[in-house]
Amino acid sequence: MTVYQALEGGELASVIARGELVWAADQEGGGPHVFPDPDDPQRLTGFEVELADLIAGELGVKARFQQGQWDRLPLLLGHTADCVINGIELLPDRRRDYTCSRPYFAYGLQLLARRDGPLDAVEKLAAAGPAGRWRVGVLTGSAAELFLRSRPEFEVDAIGYDGTIDSMEQVHSGVLDAALMDDCIFNFYADRFAGLRAVGRPFGGGYYTVLTARDTPRLSAAIDEALGRIIADGRLKTLYDRWDLGGRQQILALRDAAEIPIATRRSLRQLAVETLPVLLSAAGMTVLLACLSFPCAILVGLSLALGRLHGPAWLRPILTGFVEVVRGTPLMLQLYAIFFLLPKVGLALPALVAAVAGLALNYSAYESEIYRAGLKAVPTGQFEAALALGMTKWQALRHVIVPQAVRLVMPPVTNDFIALFKDTSVCSVITVIELTKRYSVLALSTGRIVELAVITAILYLAMSWPLSLLSRRFEASQEKGA
Amino acid sequence: MIRIEGLSKTRGGTRVLADVGLRADERDVTAIVGPSGGGKSTLLRCLNGLEVFDSGEVTIAAHRMGPGPHPPQLLERVRRDVGMVFQQFNLFPHLSVLENVALGPRVVGRMPLAEARARATAQLERVGMASFAAARPETLSGGQQQRVAIARALALTPRVMLFDEPTSALDPAMSAEVMETIVALARGGQTMVVVTHDHAFARRAATQVVELVAGRITRAGPPATVLDP
Repeated sequence: MTVYQALEGGELASVIARGELVWAADQEGGGPHVFPDPDDPQRLTGFEVELADLIAGELGVKARFQQGQWDRLPLLLGHTADCVINGIELLPDRRRDYTCSRPYFAYGLQLLARRDGPLDAVEKLAAAGPAGRWRVGVLTGSAAELFLRSRPEFEVDAIGYDGTIDSMEQVHSGVLDAALMDDCIFNFYADRFAGLRAVGRPFGGGYYTVLTARDTPRLSAAIDEALGRIIADGRLKTLYDRWDLGGRQQILALRDAAEIPIATRRSLRQLAVETLPVLLSAAGMTVLLACLSFPCAILVGLSLALGRLHGPAWLRPILTGFVEVVRGTPLMLQLYAIFFLLPKVGLALPALVAAVAGLALNYSAYESEIYRAGLKAVPTGQFEAALALGMTKWQALRHVIVPQAVRLVMPPVTNDFIALFKDTSVCSVITVIELTKRYSVLALSTGRIVELAVITAILYLAMSWPLSLLSRRFEASQEKGA
Repeated sequence: MIRIEGLSKTRGGTRVLADVGLRADERDVTAIVGPSGGGKSTLLRCLNGLEVFDSGEVTIAAHRMGPGPHPPQLLERVRRDVGMVFQQFNLFPHLSVLENVALGPRVVGRMPLAEARARATAQLERVGMASFAAARPETLSGGQQQRVAIARALALTPRVMLFDEPTSALDPAMSAEVMETIVALARGGQTMVVVTHDHAFARRAATQVVELVAGRITRAGPPATVLDP
């Protein structure tokens, strides 16, 4: 598409030429908006699926769904998706960075907590709870998160999750005191979590909007017109009634929707002043995760390797099985299991502990293979010489074999440390906010995706560069020694 | 001090030792000679349990070893009393010369560091390597490395020393310096068993010579009768 076409509304022309409107949403824990049909998991259902069909129908095309991570859906605009229809709240920041349609749904924020817990009124958030500050789960990047962060008077730590179901699970298992989310989501999933209750009435709140990229006037105007027709002829009311979302109240609320202001764009200087301290402290978390977990991974990995090579015969297949299972499953799944599944059997670990444990566990399997190779690379004559002195097998390993193996594998182990360094970013799935997650949150809230990406990349390089130098020095000393 | 009776061993269907018998008293220097592949090294390694055997019996420094795998505690007691020097030296490359020699006294002899170091220094002086105490093994010549290996084996004052072709990996000049060290030890009354191709050494230092061919003892006796019949 040329610039001329874009200015003339080429994006609408290309939707019509393609014959389909590509709309992005996140189906994970996405009820009642977009979620897999329980009777046919291949098929998507939800009120926004039907809304997308209606809008596309008004444009004379078919609707095609595009999956994305909720807090990054807007990043798909302009290349992968034409619009985002997924409970995107109409906020000043979003009006600055994207084109927002007229509202199509009114939501309130609902606080929820355990039925038997101490939190029974929203006002209680203003004072610390029995266990200190309240821990409240929110969907990362949502209006609920923004609301809590804009209330410094609350004694609340807002903890960001990638899905709303996750935070409900964590309230249920006692890791969180409460969760704050759009009321329609709580109403939809309330039956599944019988131990949770709504605390007070919905409050705050606002409107959902269809997002399109900036400078797409024709497409957004066409979507606004489509929404107008769907509201005017009663189809939207019927749709909401069918989904038990209160059709009449919705239509009345949409009619009274007030204009939302547009946030001002920060200068580069202002951006740096505001974001650099936050990014630096997130980088500190990255360093902390790597430096706590890697020594554990090395110790466990070395023990695994020694056990597999020199341990009792019954132990060896068990350790081999452990290594294969850990190596053969994704890190993200392991973190997820440690953080979300262990509380179900009564072992609730703080997020940081779970993150360090998960990283250490995962990397221990890789380190054990490196150490196994290193141990085998030490000549047998060394072992015999140690035994001939009268050492026991374990004395020989400790004083003669392991020190040599450790030196041999220094370069690949340093290499793995750099890899682990970057893998810490996966920990964001269990609410640990490190550099990558902080970048993505900031990029979306400020709209400065490119500038912040450059700063973040520089921070990563500044951290891994010294490690690379160290690794090269080890290699050089190895070659000299050989 | 050493008694071997009816020692037999097969490896992969081949007989490597067949009904070997041998006796050596305190202060005896036993040289084992014979063609390569005759079972000399295997016999020597049976003496400190680095190899197991199928039948027969080995008694060394009052420890008795039977056929099959030996209990670990027995092996540790045997090796505490029996030192060994290898053809390829096998010095520990991550330790200095002094640390190589002090490791045995420290770990096996459970001596305090200072005492272990003093003992190691004394052994290094004995083989003429005390001035290299701080060096890394890889910076030494082959002959120097082998002398350090001898000091390492001596550091726990073994009652018997085993030498497995100690000069085969060395050129003649270095070979001579190592042989002089071993001859001096033998003259000092150290009981030892030496696997060697060096008949000159056997004539000079051995009290008895055993010739092993295809796993059998073909000749045994004083050097003169075995080597110059």
